[in-house]
Amino acid sequence: MIGQLIIEGLAIGACYGLFAIAVVIIYKTSEVVNFAQGEMAMLSTFIAFHILNYYHYPFWLAFILTMAFAILLGVLIEFLFLRPAKHPSLLGLIVITLGAEMLLMGLAGWKWGAEQKEFVVPMSYQVTHEPFQGMIINDWAIAVFVTSALVMVLLFLFFKYTKLGIAMRATQQNKHAAKIMGIRVERVFSIAWGFSSLIGTIAAMFFASRSTLDPGFMLEPFLRAFAAAVLGGLMSIPGVFIGGELLGLIENFFGYVWPEWKPIVAFAVIVLVLCFRPSGLFAKHYVKKV
Amino acid sequence: MKASRVWIFAVVAVLGLLLLAPASEAGKGFDDKEVRVGQFGPLTGPAAPWGAVLRGSALRFQLVNDEGGIHGRKIKYFMRDDQYNPAQTVTVIKELVENQDIFAIVGGVAGAGSIAAKDYLTKNKIIWIGPTASARELVFPQTPYLFCLTPLYEDEASIMTKYLVETAKMKKIALMYQNDSYGQAGLAGMRQRLAKYKMKAVAEIPVEPTERDLASHIMKIKNAGPEAVILWVAPTTAVISLKTAATIGFKPQWAGGTPLADYPMMHKISGGLWEGVINTSYVEPPDSSLPVVVKYREAQKKYMPEERWGLFFMGGLLVADPLIDALKKAGKKLSLEAVLKQLNSAKNYKTIGPTINWSKNQHQGVDSAMIWKCGPGGKTMVMQGWTQNELATWKKK
Repeated sequence: MIGQLIIEGLAIGACYGLFAIAVVIIYKTSEVVNFAQGEMAMLSTFIAFHILNYYHYPFWLAFILTMAFAILLGVLIEFLFLRPAKHPSLLGLIVITLGAEMLLMGLAGWKWGAEQKEFVVPMSYQVTHEPFQGMIINDWAIAVFVTSALVMVLLFLFFKYTKLGIAMRATQQNKHAAKIMGIRVERVFSIAWGFSSLIGTIAAMFFASRSTLDPGFMLEPFLRAFAAAVLGGLMSIPGVFIGGELLGLIENFFGYVWPEWKPIVAFAVIVLVLCFRPSGLFAKHYVKKV
Repeated sequence: MKASRVWIFAVVAVLGLLLLAPASEAGKGFDDKEVRVGQFGPLTGPAAPWGAVLRGSALRFQLVNDEGGIHGRKIKYFMRDDQYNPAQTVTVIKELVENQDIFAIVGGVAGAGSIAAKDYLTKNKIIWIGPTASARELVFPQTPYLFCLTPLYEDEASIMTKYLVETAKMKKIALMYQNDSYGQAGLAGMRQRLAKYKMKAVAEIPVEPTERDLASHIMKIKNAGPEAVILWVAPTTAVISLKTAATIGFKPQWAGGTPLADYPMMHKISGGLWEGVINTSYVEPPDSSLPVVVKYREAQKKYMPEERWGLFFMGGLLVADPLIDALKKAGKKLSLEAVLKQLNSAKNYKTIGPTINWSKNQHQGVDSAMIWKCGPGGKTMVMQGWTQNELATWKKK
């Protein structure tokens, strides 16, 4: 039983972690918490659904087209909503993302309706394996683990060794200095939004295939991912992933013993972490010099 | 100059008030040409699929109007979208009462919103027939104007438990229930029935409607070893439950209430996992050959071919029927009292739902539900006809 709880906790935790990475990529570059993150991923997942069910393309072609759409959507939202804001405060930018969230949700509701839909990925939750007695793992969970690991490795390589990755890190550390060094900061922001949208969409596809697809299906996972990001540290990509895994495990064990209290665990975690370690468990404490 | 501005302001204000005032003869809800009827529910937003109830009623009123109306009066029907938001429910109801001067409300798809609206509608003496939320606090304490025609959630749960124990011969029952009044009513109904057999549920697990990860809930239920699991939850939670159970090889007999009995939808969104699930239902099966069902089904094809003929759409027809019947029986000399008199004397009244019995002292008119099973492709299979909950506590009053 404990083994099964660990598997299930780690699998859903990896989804939280993956989505939390999407939140953090934007936060790292612009210090904006993007409240439209869930709905951006939701809209892209609907695009995948549309391609699969109306054009009947094979899954992997639909996946590639969806990823292209997700990047474009992220770039467009940054370009059309955030960039035109004149001398925006942080709060102003957050309010803009809230507006974008409502717009995207309304758009999806108008186009595909509110009725729940089934979203199928090739890695089925119904195909199960029992490597050890009493520990069942399914193809969906295996795909989540493999994808998360792959994304983590690619992100590490990207931020460490590519010019663009280094430019993104530089922009995060000091926007003005980065500008002086010739980095086109606005472009970096757009790319960060595109990247974030792509990773968020991958996570959303996993969420949708285990539940249902509807315009509101990412509201709850976004809150969980945000809690994971706070737990791990909003500035640390490996940290937020571990935060996601920890949250998945805590929620599953807590939910097993006290199911009625499970929904508040994520928020209790946010409060506790903010009280005792405001930067998160894995982020370096950031002190701004005056 | 100042005086002329004051005059302009006064004229605009008076014109504005005139425009906002009810357009028709105030306070009656009808005249010689029409009877005004309203309904509220989610036409947009996350619960929009349930908006089919509102359109089902629209079809029923269209049929009546095409037949010449009732004693020369046509039904003027107003649909209002509250997006399943209780705050908006009250707003749209006020608009229906104060601006449209409605005579009655049929249906009304809301949970907490319906309960919030009850006092207001009572105060304004608006007849309200068939709110879809089958909650005890909506029906009781009884008001002179509110008439219910769906079984209470607790009665449905009791009937389902009875079927599982007596007919399906299952001894170990578990329940997963939504942690609100809907779920609590399911819990009460199951406990009531099991107490009769001197049994207890092997697991009673609460769940929040927004939860998307139910692994720990399902594992807890699995470890309790139930033969049947009753789901008193929303459709999305139910689908996630079945999918999660499939990942750990857990295959009990699943069961649920009417909110989970829209088989074509549930079968589709669960990827076929819904096949074999049993439910209670308070409408006749969609493919029924009852003449009244056939008549409505044909009308839907003719007037609203874009609609899906299913449980929720049929629910809209069901809630409109008793009002039409009472208006007909009330005669040409229409009044609130005349219609109330007819409604209060409804005996063994039946169209596409259970048999309704209302009296002056009892406005919960229904205690029965059918048992359905989801067949291949989401087909409805009737396992048991209309079954009463003989344990219903409200009948003993």
